[in-house]
Amino acid sequence: MIRHLLRLVWNRRRANALIALELLLSFLVLAAVVTMAVYLLDNYRQPLGFVYEDVWSVRIAMNVIDAPGGEVLPENAPARRAVRLNTLARLVRDMPDVLSVSLVNDAPYSRSSWGSSVAVGGRAYDFSANRASDDFDETMRLTVTRGRWFDASDDGAAWEPVVLNERLATEIFGGQDPVGRTIQPDPPKIGDRRQQPTMRVVGVIRDFRKDGEFSPAASWMFYRSTVGSTTTAPAIGPGVPRYLVVRARPGTAAAFEASLVERLNSNAPDMSFQARPLILARATMLRGDLPILAAYALVAAFLLAMVVLGLTGVLWLNVTQRTREIGLRRAKGATIPDIRHQVLGEVLLLATVAVAAGIVIVAQFPLLDLVATISPGVYATGLLISVACIYFLSIACAWVPSRLATSVPPAEALRYE
Amino acid sequence: MLRSYLKLAWRVLWRRRFFTAISLFGISLTLVVLMVATALLDHTFAPMAPEVRQARTLVIFNATMTGPRSTWRDGAGFQLVDRYARNLANVERVAMISFPEDVFSYPGSTRVQSSLRRADAEYWRILDFDFLEGGPFADQDVRNGSRVAVINAATRDRFFGGAAAVGRWIDADGLRFRVVGVTANVSASRPVSTGDIFVPYTTAKTDAYKTRLLGSFMGILLGRSPADLPGIKAEFASRVAAAPMPDKDYEHLYAAAETYFESVAADTFGQRNDDTTRAERLWIAIVGAALLFLLLPTVNLVNLNVSRIMERASEIGVRKAFGASTGTLVTQFMVENVMLTLLGGVIGFVLSAVVLKAITAAELIEHARLAINARVFLYGLGLSLVFGLLSGVYPAWRMARLNPVAALKGVGR
Repeated sequence: MIRHLLRLVWNRRRANALIALELLLSFLVLAAVVTMAVYLLDNYRQPLGFVYEDVWSVRIAMNVIDAPGGEVLPENAPARRAVRLNTLARLVRDMPDVLSVSLVNDAPYSRSSWGSSVAVGGRAYDFSANRASDDFDETMRLTVTRGRWFDASDDGAAWEPVVLNERLATEIFGGQDPVGRTIQPDPPKIGDRRQQPTMRVVGVIRDFRKDGEFSPAASWMFYRSTVGSTTTAPAIGPGVPRYLVVRARPGTAAAFEASLVERLNSNAPDMSFQARPLILARATMLRGDLPILAAYALVAAFLLAMVVLGLTGVLWLNVTQRTREIGLRRAKGATIPDIRHQVLGEVLLLATVAVAAGIVIVAQFPLLDLVATISPGVYATGLLISVACIYFLSIACAWVPSRLATSVPPAEALRYE
Repeated sequence: MLRSYLKLAWRVLWRRRFFTAISLFGISLTLVVLMVATALLDHTFAPMAPEVRQARTLVIFNATMTGPRSTWRDGAGFQLVDRYARNLANVERVAMISFPEDVFSYPGSTRVQSSLRRADAEYWRILDFDFLEGGPFADQDVRNGSRVAVINAATRDRFFGGAAAVGRWIDADGLRFRVVGVTANVSASRPVSTGDIFVPYTTAKTDAYKTRLLGSFMGILLGRSPADLPGIKAEFASRVAAAPMPDKDYEHLYAAAETYFESVAADTFGQRNDDTTRAERLWIAIVGAALLFLLLPTVNLVNLNVSRIMERASEIGVRKAFGASTGTLVTQFMVENVMLTLLGGVIGFVLSAVVLKAITAAELIEHARLAINARVFLYGLGLSLVFGLLSGVYPAWRMARLNPVAALKGVGR
């Protein structure tokens, strides 16, 4: 049966090659869109690691001269800036309805990011870095899974205290408990950069997916910001916190934001403040991304609809041209299901050729590391669904023509011979 | 001759209505996608009010400093424009405008988000804003740091419910500004002219911006004529190349006076000054993307066409038997196919207008008024022709090569 089909397909190889090419291109379009959809859905299912409701983020622009070559004015010297930020945090903490206040470099849904890496034992670990004050776990309701968040006991430590997310902890320490372990960075290569300080892991959080539900899983390392940590004399290290994050009592009126900004403005008229409820920042981020994804999906859906209609038409014409061949087969005793299976079988054979070629092409992407952030599981799921879709699509296209092939009585079909 | 071809083509299309409909479905929606993309690109890059002098305008969008260990890329700084872009030969005017920043105001107890831009007075002379009331702020306002603002119609609606705004006050960035003018809204896809609130740059809370080589400003240069632009670019580039570095961590400064299209090309293909082919490369990338998208629709249409030719094998056999040359047959088929795609193009134009209207109504791009103008229409026509020719060549070749005897028998192989 298969050999017979192969010969039939080979005999009309030029027309069939075009059909196979069309199926191959459809498979590539499907694979791209389905893999993207699976990837986003998979991201969406992962926990965010923080609770964004009832939280405001306030971006602080200090308007200070810290450009290369710019002189730092006395009132903007690092120590002075730290004291001023601390004062602002305290002012907000004293407001009614405020539950918790902290300072952080990159707030959730802020689009800014800070990538870093550390080399340990010759291996480099890349991660997203952030710096936050002692109450940040409370403000954002982070899930601390092991150890603890930063607190006053980190003051004056001989090492840099860090908190990792579970992904980075597993990367560096495997299955071992990372709490209390030291990360000793390798000495820098000549002329490379400064020696990184010795770090000690004080805790592990579940995650901190700053850019929201659709963002990919990432490794995170938090450093401690002494600025904004109530118990300590602040000192500014590298990276000044740029965001004040405020958790208010649930059900706090919107007017809260106006009085918050008013309070900040009157205390620091030389600074600029941009306050947003995180719900709104999140909605803005989704509104920016979703129309683009919807446009891709819409275009792909249209392409596939076009392919379904087009293939149906092509197969239809093929079948009408082959009336005599089919009539002859039926005269020789082929049953109606036999003929239908032949039409379907030919298309499925072409689909198999197309899918095989498509998989060879698509498999190059992970091999060449072109899609580093997509996990193999997601990739495989996306491909499996695409393969299933192509077969379903082929059968759908061949269904009507296969019925048509058997609707002509054999005697009439043979009359043309 | 052409008339009889067209007549014949019409007959053929009408005879097999189902297949014509399938073809038209694919053709028209393919062209819709391409035309909507073209309209969006046109809306972003082509001259449009208030940027009516775009043909002789150059913009310094951003700048890069590089050193052995670090690269710093940001908007142009105030100092970069002030020190290196003034007094260039053949430049009529130089203006400065900051990149939009979000500011929040709380009129009544509602919250209003606006994009605030800091400008000088020259800005209003280079760009031709449509003022609904009042006018721009003057040189004197900029010199004195007067707290005055020009707002757009959307901001007037948000703050004053659409009532006359000139002379009234708005709060932004913790400061209070007196409204002196109201302009029509400008699409968010125009980085040079979009914005909700425009204030004199001297109203900034501190003078920090004045010392920055890299920062948050763009410089706008108006040349005397479009022909002067290459010379202006070159002179600015040579000044920047000779600029002393303010910091020992950095060795080179790169900044270019360019069009927005060139700036996007630089963002895509690298920001260094020494590569002048970036804009061409962006063109190639755009055309390449369009061709890649056309691949599947083309194969689909070729498949349909080949099948329909085989169906008409006996007709072709007769024509060949009566001496029709290959050229005649190919021409006839190409005319048929181009007519089909142009018909699809017409449907495509109608559908594109609907889609663009929907995108406009949904405010996917703030204040964008998307429509098919003459330029987009010409591009669309060109796209239809290219699509028709692309998808017609192979089937026509197959048709011309049909063996007349076999074709007469009706055996299409």
